[in-house]
Amino acid sequence: MPISARMLRTRLPLLFVGITIAFASVASAEDRPAPATIDVFPPAVRFDGPREQMQLVITTNYADDRQADATRSASFASSDPGVAVVENGVVLPRGDGKAEIAVEVGGLTTTVAVEVENYSRPAPVSFYHGALAAITKQGCNAGACHGSPSGKGGFRMSLRAFDPELDKFTLIREEYGRRTNVHDPDSSLLLLKPMMKVPHGGGLKLTKGDPAFTLLRDWIAEGCRLDPPEAPKCVRIEVFPGSGRVYKIDDATKDANQQQLCVLAHFSDGSVRDVTPLAVYSSSDEQVAEVAVGGLVTGKDRGEAAIMVRYMEFIESVYVTFVRDIEGFAWSDPPSNNYIDDHVYAKLKQLKFLPSELCADEEFIRRVYLDTIGVLPTIEETQAFLSDSAPDKRSKLIDGLLERPEYARFWALKWGDLLRMTKKAVGDAGVHKYHQWLLRSFQENAPYDEFAREVLTASGSTHVNPAANFYRTATDVNDTVESIAQVFLGARLQCAKCHNHPFERWTQDNYYGMAAFFNRVQRKSASRPDEMFVYAARSGEITQPRTGETMKPWAPEAGEMDVPADADRRDPFAHWLTEKDNPFFARVEANRIWAHLFGRGIVDPPDDFRDSNPPSNAALLDALAKDFAEYRFDRKHLLRTILNSRTYQASSRPNEFNDEDKKFFSHYQPRLLSAEQLLDAICHVTGVAEKFGSLPASVKATQLPSPDLADNEFLKVFGQPERQTVCECERSDDSNLGQALQLFNGPLVHGKLRDANNRFRRLISENKPDDEVIRTLYLAALCREPSEGELEASLSHVAAKPDNRIEALDDVCWAILNTHEFLFQH
Amino acid sequence: MCLLCASNGFAEDAVSFRADVAPILLSNCLACHGSKKAEGSYRIDSFERLSQGGDTGLAPFTAGDLDDSELYRRITSEDEGERMPLEGEPLPEEHVTIIRKWIEQGAEYDAEDPGADLASIVPPPVHPDPPEAYPQTLPITALEFSADGSQLFAGGYHEITVWSTSEGQLARRIKNVDQRTYGLDLHPEGKLLAAASGSPGRRGEVRLYNAESGELVKVLGTMSDVAFDAVFSPDGKRLAVCAADGIVRVYDVESGKEELTITSHSDWVMAVAWSGDGAKLATASRDKTAKVFDAKSGELLITFSDHNQPVKGVAFHPSGEEVYSSGADNKVMLWKIADGKKSADVAGFGAEAYKLETGEDQLFAVSADKSARQFNLNDRKHVRDYRGHEEWVLTAAYHPPTKRLATGAFDGEVRIWNVEDGAQTAKFLAAPGYAKPTEQ
Repeated sequence: MPISARMLRTRLPLLFVGITIAFASVASAEDRPAPATIDVFPPAVRFDGPREQMQLVITTNYADDRQADATRSASFASSDPGVAVVENGVVLPRGDGKAEIAVEVGGLTTTVAVEVENYSRPAPVSFYHGALAAITKQGCNAGACHGSPSGKGGFRMSLRAFDPELDKFTLIREEYGRRTNVHDPDSSLLLLKPMMKVPHGGGLKLTKGDPAFTLLRDWIAEGCRLDPPEAPKCVRIEVFPGSGRVYKIDDATKDANQQQLCVLAHFSDGSVRDVTPLAVYSSSDEQVAEVAVGGLVTGKDRGEAAIMVRYMEFIESVYVTFVRDIEGFAWSDPPSNNYIDDHVYAKLKQLKFLPSELCADEEFIRRVYLDTIGVLPTIEETQAFLSDSAPDKRSKLIDGLLERPEYARFWALKWGDLLRMTKKAVGDAGVHKYHQWLLRSFQENAPYDEFAREVLTASGSTHVNPAANFYRTATDVNDTVESIAQVFLGARLQCAKCHNHPFERWTQDNYYGMAAFFNRVQRKSASRPDEMFVYAARSGEITQPRTGETMKPWAPEAGEMDVPADADRRDPFAHWLTEKDNPFFARVEANRIWAHLFGRGIVDPPDDFRDSNPPSNAALLDALAKDFAEYRFDRKHLLRTILNSRTYQASSRPNEFNDEDKKFFSHYQPRLLSAEQLLDAICHVTGVAEKFGSLPASVKATQLPSPDLADNEFLKVFGQPERQTVCECERSDDSNLGQALQLFNGPLVHGKLRDANNRFRRLISENKPDDEVIRTLYLAALCREPSEGELEASLSHVAAKPDNRIEALDDVCWAILNTHEFLFQH
Repeated sequence: MCLLCASNGFAEDAVSFRADVAPILLSNCLACHGSKKAEGSYRIDSFERLSQGGDTGLAPFTAGDLDDSELYRRITSEDEGERMPLEGEPLPEEHVTIIRKWIEQGAEYDAEDPGADLASIVPPPVHPDPPEAYPQTLPITALEFSADGSQLFAGGYHEITVWSTSEGQLARRIKNVDQRTYGLDLHPEGKLLAAASGSPGRRGEVRLYNAESGELVKVLGTMSDVAFDAVFSPDGKRLAVCAADGIVRVYDVESGKEELTITSHSDWVMAVAWSGDGAKLATASRDKTAKVFDAKSGELLITFSDHNQPVKGVAFHPSGEEVYSSGADNKVMLWKIADGKKSADVAGFGAEAYKLETGEDQLFAVSADKSARQFNLNDRKHVRDYRGHEEWVLTAAYHPPTKRLATGAFDGEVRIWNVEDGAQTAKFLAAPGYAKPTEQ
């Protein structure tokens, strides 16, 4: 095999061995193994009527289990072009009868049987599945255009055709039938506007070549017919190929990174139609994969993406993975501590990212303290851990931390956010009782299912049963449904209150079906201040506002539930939710705990589970959820398992082969301490506690029952949430100028540095030498000794101010508080 | 358009801006270079703007100098990123030739006002013939009786159909009409028929026809979107027209001159009415208001906003001091011109209320609840309901001498009623040649 001059030039600097390897890889690219077999989807096609088509998808299978899409490179031949033909991989009917399509790729052949019936029978375009699908495909009824509640330019349609009655009115009848012209279809405003034949604020949205144009034009020409009531309805869509294929981005084979999708709509009469041209496609990550209007997916970079496919109210997502060769990459085969590492490493190996080494003990102790109990270790704790030579000292430290009283207090802070625990909502006495209840639940390590049932079915006085405050912070049935969905199902349901969710399967019916579990909850004030009485009435129904239908209680996958007339409807919901195999319950909490530890969920944001926002490692999340459910929903067990993994203990320093990775957990992602952690850490380093309102002096920021019990400017600036919503996003992690000013010379930092009783002033008054003061500060703030250079720099700063030692050490402490190493969890 | 240039056979080279160039610009350039969108800050919706050029600062055209004519360069460019219309097929050769010749011949403007809307200077087109047989019925949006009441005019597709009132038989067809007709009015002397018509989104027109022969007498005006109503003043000297361009125009019938242009409404103007003395005009608009103007000066006298929904119909009380209006709030209201305050709720329908029709001392209102209702115009007392239509009733016409009311519905059906006893005297589909599909 000849080597071109260009290739030689680029290879020359390499070692001789390198040339051999490069040579071998070039050879393999050209002598690419031929596919072993080919498959065609669907294997047989039946057309009923002339207005049908079928997108074929040709798959080549290789000896190494790899699959590739050969739809665009295959050649097709029909045995009878009078019956069926193939254009660009799409079978089209041409007359009644049977034909066989021969498919050929690289010498391999297969066939598709085609049968066409009723070719000459008229097949008018359906209003719903044709015209409205075409309008939805072109985006006319999108939320930013005519699908907005007030429409655009005097023309309003329902958002993505969720209300065909309204659309029937606006398309056919409104303004004397102005928009459709059955006498001269081509002069219909509905076509002229998006084709820019007359001025259109939305610009060019339709061309003659679009499948949507033919459907709309024909629908008008056929007299704008409506669907007969008995017309079959779409019941589901199917996308081929489904999830799981792995494609290799490879310059040698230009379309190896592409996949043509085929979208089939299944109808209530059993018929199946190809809706590939009418489905709407989007990618969860455009950097990884793009998807064209016709359903052709193209990989852009290694990683994973969910391709969301929508046809009318039906949504399916398929997950695709793209890999590519990385020059010089070799899997290091690190050991695994448990199943977490197995799953994380499998993904990293596939995508060719190399995990970072384990972090140092100094980093580990700081990290695990902050994540588990919210505060920094004392100097004594740090020194004891660092000097311990036991090989299982990390595990022992984890076990010890999980039993510390601060554990419950710190996790109660996190759940206090989710439960919107504030004095404003439940009163002064109320918030303390509610917080005590939550604290006890974490102290006793109550199983998560019990905890959830206790919250969701709570009744009675909020003083006697503080969990009932859940129905106090959720003031009405909408708030209740939306909060429960977001906290326990990880689903943001707000959109579905007024219309079908635009990006998710949640429909308006689902929203009110869920609401039927909770609309009987009553709230009555009690005699004592801050007390409320919560109970479930025995009657009361909820109606879907658009259809006026009375809704039966409904839960995802379980469907409608029959609840005995005299039962509290919340019970069956709580029962459904906390079953071991509930698809949401364990996954959402496991992911939330993961997100707490890594600063990023496997599904992220952690309270936004949806098909179009896939987990970055589905197998990992499944395994965590399974472990959690099987271990009686024991949160400490799950925490312990994660904390003991090498994945958690990985260094935050990236290597050459994982720098790009931000979501597959190849290395620890540093993040700013939370507002409360940071304040406690500053108090810890300076040795000057912060007092919060009238709360006992021992209460730390990470242990506050509610943000509105003590107004603290510092906490607010660093993103302490007001607990107005159940959204994780309310806790802001944006950095801003206010934060810089607070750290630079804010009253809090300034006050603590000036405090006569602070750590370094006490040491000075105890006549400790400079180097000991400096080392103490480093150990307190960073859990490590200063390096020689650091120590020297600090000492020379102090030496430069012989008249003012205190001020010089004040400077040193200030500088440490302003390092990234202090401010960040790493 | 090319028929028109071909007709200038004696001077093959003489290209007219208004007849030849403007139509090309309107149908190919306006969508991106008009009032809604002005790509490159360039607009072509009047000659003045067309001449000014856009962001490039280059002259769009220079008389006799194609090389210094950016417009010509852009329509002929080989570079698809530059060639107009962008993302579209290039202009056909014959259109390019017309524009080239016009520039070569001096790029002259052959209409009066260079600031005039381009759509208004284009010579009125000869409209295509109506379909021999209607494939579908058309919503009945305009009706009017002939002077003696024996015939009924109805808005058709590219035509005005004329029917015998007694039998509902098609008597004749008036051609050379734009797509849809939304308003018809017979001149007080009975000879002239005014039609407010248009092609939705593209053009509006007001034409006068000889009511007896059906011949086109005059095209009074052209606008950018459909005309909804045309009503003669009580003395027959003026014609008030309102349209989807939001403008109310008053023409002198004899001279055809546009005497008044009222731009007070912010959305479509759906109906217009004259006060009995011809001194005031009332209008109904999709901007959710009804307004009253001085018919001489065009000055706005009062705005009525109580409907809070698009207003569809309007009529004067005989006193001249109050106005009836109907709207998408399903209501007919009576209100005072002096202060714009509501005097009374006259009627509440089960759905949107449309046209208000008056005659003698009677008021008729029609609605999407499929009924028409009659009231005494003076004391607004309810007289009678007309029920039987199976679809929204969109319009009505009343002929006092014969006491006949005609109502037209969305399904193309026209019904004639005797207002003395409320009996229906005829019913027909105003769709020539339409064959109702047999139920399968």
